[in-house]
Amino acid sequence: MANNSDEEIRPMAYPLKMISKEVVEHMLGWNIPEEHQDLVHEHWRSFPAVSKYWHYCLALIYMMLMITSLTGNGIVIWIFGTSKSLRSASNMFVINLAVFDLMMMLEMPLLIVNSFYQRLVGYQLGCDIYAVLGALSGIGGAITNAVIAFDRYKTISCPLDGRINRIQAGLLIAFTWFWALPFTILPALKIWGRFVPEGFLTTCSFDYFSDDQDTKVFVACIFVWSYCIPMTLICYFYSQLFGAVRLHERMLQEQAKKMNVKSLAANKEDANRSVEIRIAKVAFTIFFLFVCAWTPYAFVAMTGAFGDRNLLTPVATMIPAVCCKVVSCIDPWVYAINHPRYRAELQKRLPWLGVREQDPDSVSTTTSVVTTQSQAQPTTEA
Amino acid sequence: MLDYISMAFVVAVKVFKKTTPNGKVTVYLGKRDFIDHMDYCDPVDGVVVVDTEYLKGRKVYSQLVTTYRYGREEDEVMGVKFSKEMVIGQDQVVPMINSKMELTPVQEKLLKKLGPNAYPFTFIFPEMAPSSVTLQPAEEDQGKPMGVEYCVRTYVAENEDQKSHKRSSVTLAIKKLQHAPASRGRRLPSSLVSKGFTFSNGKINLEVTLDREIYYHGEKIAANVIVSNNSRKSVRNIRCMVIQHVEITMINSQFSRHVASLESREGCPITPGASLSKTFYLIPLARTNKDIRGVALDGHLKEDDVNLASSTLVSEGKCPADAIGIVVSYSIRVKLNCGTLGGELVTDVPFKLLHPTEGTIERQRFNAMKKMQSIERHRYENSLYVNEEEDNIVFEDFARLRMNEPQ
Repeated sequence: MANNSDEEIRPMAYPLKMISKEVVEHMLGWNIPEEHQDLVHEHWRSFPAVSKYWHYCLALIYMMLMITSLTGNGIVIWIFGTSKSLRSASNMFVINLAVFDLMMMLEMPLLIVNSFYQRLVGYQLGCDIYAVLGALSGIGGAITNAVIAFDRYKTISCPLDGRINRIQAGLLIAFTWFWALPFTILPALKIWGRFVPEGFLTTCSFDYFSDDQDTKVFVACIFVWSYCIPMTLICYFYSQLFGAVRLHERMLQEQAKKMNVKSLAANKEDANRSVEIRIAKVAFTIFFLFVCAWTPYAFVAMTGAFGDRNLLTPVATMIPAVCCKVVSCIDPWVYAINHPRYRAELQKRLPWLGVREQDPDSVSTTTSVVTTQSQAQPTTEA
Repeated sequence: MLDYISMAFVVAVKVFKKTTPNGKVTVYLGKRDFIDHMDYCDPVDGVVVVDTEYLKGRKVYSQLVTTYRYGREEDEVMGVKFSKEMVIGQDQVVPMINSKMELTPVQEKLLKKLGPNAYPFTFIFPEMAPSSVTLQPAEEDQGKPMGVEYCVRTYVAENEDQKSHKRSSVTLAIKKLQHAPASRGRRLPSSLVSKGFTFSNGKINLEVTLDREIYYHGEKIAANVIVSNNSRKSVRNIRCMVIQHVEITMINSQFSRHVASLESREGCPITPGASLSKTFYLIPLARTNKDIRGVALDGHLKEDDVNLASSTLVSEGKCPADAIGIVVSYSIRVKLNCGTLGGELVTDVPFKLLHPTEGTIERQRFNAMKKMQSIERHRYENSLYVNEEEDNIVFEDFARLRMNEPQ
């Protein structure tokens, strides 16, 4: 009788039971065999196993992201790689970023499979493969963003001979790969840090829960290395670039004044002031995307190592993974669509895409256009 | 009148013309090169002929436009444009506002010939307007070359601010150049430097003197070099080069290019106590620097009209730092190589490189040379001229250089 009443109370405590019965009976990590249990940190075991609908939902999100990333980055690599007019040193960086983003995309099928098993497939090996892809592409992508900022700063601030040549570009690309390597190889070989499952235990990342000094130093280092440094560089180069553009504008205005010119425009249709605003908009978009992509991850890792771990529920730790993957899908839109020659080439090769990419400026302006349209529609209907 | 007849008799006046794509408006210009004589500058004088029925109350406007391009088109990212267009003169041509405007001889002649539908226009370059300069693109560069360009744009519109249509507008590329003053100056530029050494006594003296201050394009530059060696080092060899300094004032950057150079070991090594006096001859030419990116050239409208950019002259009372656009200057640099430990002794002597001005003997000689070079070419090109013989006006189509068309 006592047993009975107990069973009747439990559904109240765990409303999820209404959806799936087995969820309630297991804690997270129940379906990992004994010999691999050391992969799962104690922290995760204190949470009930995640409903399979959560898994399916995540798999669905990843499926959509995978298709978007594959299309966007695939087209970038295809067009930048095959058209002659786009074969410049600066564009090598855009290709490099697309390669990193595609590498991040490779994680997605692994997760989709894992989600259907509701556990890691391949245990330690599977975990390592997943995390290596993630670490390499994540850190590499972040530093490539900084390198692109550097390249743009060089070309715009000294348009005559600032341009990076192919050899320098090749070296910089090699640099991005080497930048990503230490925090990929060391944990993979368990020399420093290690890769463990996180969140729903279907994804993997570096270990930020272990309580030893090694792990804490590792987390602090990776935080500085792959978040702080690239972000500082991005901010620095874009602010320098902005300063250079303003200087050029001012000098041109002075020259125009000497010749008694009233209007000064790059094109008849461009307003003069908008150059600076346009630059600021693009630079801010890129910075904002970087922050969106990596701040959640940085927050989770730092909280795991140094903060209040109770905040890190399985669902909360899946958000950063989704964030950085979303941004890896947006990257080609931000970097490539801004490129007039790329757009021209796209128009030529895939004319059916042309309609979608009318706005060259940035993602933010595209969305603002969309919202004004949707606002305008009801009024016209009314 | 006698003057007029004799002029028409001796040589046909060549006039340049270009028509809008729809064929309704035609612009005639007496010349394409406008010379800045420092105290005054040739005005841009032209005539527009328009089909009045086509206008239907609309107006014809003309603009004098300068375009600065200070970066490659293919490097434009993030919406930055490396070019700026400035309208330095704008006028309503049809209907005429100022019917009493002073006409130049070419305009008078053209108006007489082209009938009642012809309307004159005149632009004066602003005092500070820079010269036309093109920076030589590298072979792999696409798009328009960097530099300062001028053009006359004529379009049909309802009012001044209305946007022009491509089919009813026409753009003629022109250039603004500077010519040398009539007198070449008596001053001989020279420089005297010496170099001592840390661990030994005595100095090496180097004196460089040029035989002129102003050289004309294609002329031989003679640099007289005197080295006297009072040190214990010896001079291994002597390098002598012509350096073109280019300052892009619109982005506050500058660079130099070696446009002619020569290395000599003759009389070397100059041992301690010895001295050497030698004259080096150098000719800076555009055609020997074809593959060097960034060499500044005078603005050119035809392929075969290329020469190195002329030195930028600043009119009296103006500071050279006030010059705008692309500022070009030249110097001769002489370098003595005193061995690996001794280092180098370098000196620069500035000079000017220009076109001879009209009306001087040098100009006539220069023109004759140029004519000889182009006689062959003209023989084949004659078919291109629309030759309306009876008034001795030769109309040359502008079609060879259309600025606004995609390449």
